[in-house]
Amino acid sequence: MSDDLVEPAEAALRDQGEGLADQAARAVVAYRAGDREPMAALVQVMTPLLWHTVRAQGADSELAQDIVQNVWLTLVRDIETIRDPHATLQWALVTAKRAAWRAVRRSREEAARSDSDENATQWLTTSADELPDAVAVRDERDQALWRHVAALPDRCRRLLGLVALVDRPDYSIVSQALGMPVGSIGPTRGRCLAKLRLALTSDPTWSLS
Amino acid sequence: MTPDDTTLTLVANGAVDQLDFGILDRLAALVDVHDPVPAGLVDRIGMALTIEAMHAEVAELHLVGESALAVRKDEASIEAGTITFTTDVLTVMISVHPEGGRVRVDGWAAPAGVLQVELHQDADVSVTTSDEDGRFSFADVERGPARLVLRRPSDPTVPVVTPQVEL
Repeated sequence: MSDDLVEPAEAALRDQGEGLADQAARAVVAYRAGDREPMAALVQVMTPLLWHTVRAQGADSELAQDIVQNVWLTLVRDIETIRDPHATLQWALVTAKRAAWRAVRRSREEAARSDSDENATQWLTTSADELPDAVAVRDERDQALWRHVAALPDRCRRLLGLVALVDRPDYSIVSQALGMPVGSIGPTRGRCLAKLRLALTSDPTWSLS
Repeated sequence: MTPDDTTLTLVANGAVDQLDFGILDRLAALVDVHDPVPAGLVDRIGMALTIEAMHAEVAELHLVGESALAVRKDEASIEAGTITFTTDVLTVMISVHPEGGRVRVDGWAAPAGVLQVELHQDADVSVTTSDEDGRFSFADVERGPARLVLRRPSDPTVPVVTPQVEL
């Protein structure tokens, strides 16, 4: 991995290992050179993040699957036009988010409050007692965690839910891609994570282990 | 600034530490359990990208009698019994026979001739060659979405790709 792709500000994070952004950059460069294997590996690890990004906008399962697949197809179709391969992760997140937002708005206009509001699946906005039994909330520590997450402002909930899915080198990229520079996480906690941490550490029913 | 706000600002400006990682790890697990990525999505994307990568040179086959067959919602995927595909350069007919829990796929391509025939299922590719009459067969095939890629000796870099069918 060459160092010239890494911003000086992120130098301190480099020892945390390779993040998704680095892996995505390598996959794009390799794909252009005719090696598609790294891109296939990237699909494996990055699809869950795109999935939850799209779901956080309220897209139903079928719509979300189409959107995620389209993000990947658009990426390889336009791969020669990517100027900075290191911006690939951010591009994919922003593209997924916007596509989902547009599609959800369109389908809501079409549905025009006709029948149920099932389209508006708001993952992470379900309160702990409304969780279906199938959702294996392991024990009361997880109950407490879910409860405190549910009590956060909507934007914090989405941010934390997505940041949780990546490793440290990608925290700030995910935050920025979601348009949350203020609440952003990494290298400092930012206010969303700080709020959750304070709530948890002052809750006697919660502990990490 | 209230004392609470002061504390929050202080904590917010602290570096992310092991406790934070622990919190985020548990949260990630809950998010995954609550709304898992649908089974097969990653494979379908992989397949779509594989087809896309060939796309510049692909002649798409068109399904004959499409209305009679159920097209799957998630992709252009069709329940296969006997299906005929056609392009300007090639016509392919396949029939699918159950064999235990698996299936055998018999096919015939016209104009008759020796072709390389590939059966793509997720990341797996089986390869065979048709006989001089254009007949080919895949035995002991797993059920599920699949598509054929046929290469003509006259034009090996321009494969003919079928839509995805449900075997």
